[in-house]
Amino acid sequence: MKNYFLRHFQTLFFSLGQLWSTPIATLMTVAVLAITLALPAGLFIVLENAQQASGAIEDSAQISVFLKKSVSESSAKSISQNLARHADIERTRYISAKEALAEFKKYSGFGDAIKAMKKNPLPAVIIVTPKQNAASPASLANLLATIKKNDRVELAQLDLKWVKRLSAFLVLAKRGVWLLAVLLGLGVVLTIGNTIRLAVTNRRSEIEITKLVGGTNAFIRRPFLYSGLIQGLLGSFGAWLLVQGGLLVIAEPMSQLTSLYASQLQIRGLDGSQTGLLLLIGASLGWLGSRLAVGRHLREINPT
Amino acid sequence: MIQLENISKRYPGGHDALKAVTFNVEPEEMVFVTGHSGAGKSTLFKLITLIERPTRGILQVNNKNCNKLPNWRIPYFRRDIGIIFQDHKLLLDRTVFDNVALPLVVSGLNHREIQRRVRASLDKVGLLNKEKLYPLTLSGGEQQRVGIARAVVNKPPLILADEPTGNLDEKLSDEIMDLFYDFHIHGVTVMIATHDLRQLKRLRKRVIQLAEGQLVYDSDNDNEYNTD
Repeated sequence: MKNYFLRHFQTLFFSLGQLWSTPIATLMTVAVLAITLALPAGLFIVLENAQQASGAIEDSAQISVFLKKSVSESSAKSISQNLARHADIERTRYISAKEALAEFKKYSGFGDAIKAMKKNPLPAVIIVTPKQNAASPASLANLLATIKKNDRVELAQLDLKWVKRLSAFLVLAKRGVWLLAVLLGLGVVLTIGNTIRLAVTNRRSEIEITKLVGGTNAFIRRPFLYSGLIQGLLGSFGAWLLVQGGLLVIAEPMSQLTSLYASQLQIRGLDGSQTGLLLLIGASLGWLGSRLAVGRHLREINPT
Repeated sequence: MIQLENISKRYPGGHDALKAVTFNVEPEEMVFVTGHSGAGKSTLFKLITLIERPTRGILQVNNKNCNKLPNWRIPYFRRDIGIIFQDHKLLLDRTVFDNVALPLVVSGLNHREIQRRVRASLDKVGLLNKEKLYPLTLSGGEQQRVGIARAVVNKPPLILADEPTGNLDEKLSDEIMDLFYDFHIHGVTVMIATHDLRQLKRLRKRVIQLAEGQLVYDSDNDNEYNTD
């Protein structure tokens, strides 16, 4: 038994040595695997964050009331105060056209373009937060109708609508990501399979000789399986680096974007168990690709 | 040790490489197999090492019925046969030591035992001081002796050599053949395919001659060697 583990250990180091002896080829394969795995993993984590964000927004359903441009600032304020006294409304927040412009300048990145405009294109807005007990879709719709009756209101919009659309879209997108993940997983298997096929071809004479001196197929397969496993593992580690690095890059603008819609939202990267899963998937796909390729090509090499 | 009974081998396409060949090789015997190229010597060796299976007939090697041996048993079966090739079949990117160690490594022996046996085997063929060299730095005769060391490192009861002196001059050929003769003296069954008539006359051992896939002469039964 001790010998068995020792032999596996030796094979592992032999495979590592083989990979190390062709660093460029190994690096290329690992890079391809990393990119292939990073795509679904990255999309998955972005969706995860988006879903979390949409959940946070859904809790705080708000009605945006856009006032007509003709409405003066003082009457706008009084509309806001009147609304705040409504039985179903928790509170209101008045955002003047100027404030809206300032906010837009700050977050949109179109600051210079807006400076070039002579007139402020944005209307004043009242953000209405309904009471928790009035948060059912029916009473929200009622409230919306009441607000719309006021002829100084240009447009009243329940933000929940697009939140619902967003979450429906996220469910769809998640499906898409799963589909993509399956396809790209297949890509990983094929990439590894091709790499291992080349390795088998390069070491054809060695395999023949090993068979002739009594090496079993399991013995011949073992270093290739380790090689596939190691490359899969390195590839998924590379994918982890790409995803976490990518999140770092988009963290800043992303948090600004989310702060426009909801309370502060922390961008979450891959946690421990997700990282573990990613590495496990990478290693298993590497092993699988290698197993399929070796099995197929060993049969082609005589003697049996 | 080796029993062939009406062994035939037909390749896809209809070429008959062996036609109903029957003979026995007793344990500890030394046998030469001769014949022109294409006479069936190589096919015979491939069948005995189970690189290929006979189309018809019964084959027994080392008390094992080769007809019934499943594929997964073949590696274990081969560990009892030392095979030597004309082109040595050495791994050029491994040292002499690693080449000779290969049959022991695949059997899963521990490192100390491998070292002991590889050294003993290299000592036997007179290459103990070259264990760290790579095959391409050796002469043809030395390369062939590495191949022999690898074949006997397992201490197999049967050695098969396919044209082991094919590319060597007379003196080196004599040395290699004397090595095989020595194994035979020590109780190993040795079967050598060769068309080196000089060696047949020199060692005076049993000779089996094949022609066009048929056994045409066996010195145990026949008197006249077929010279054409």
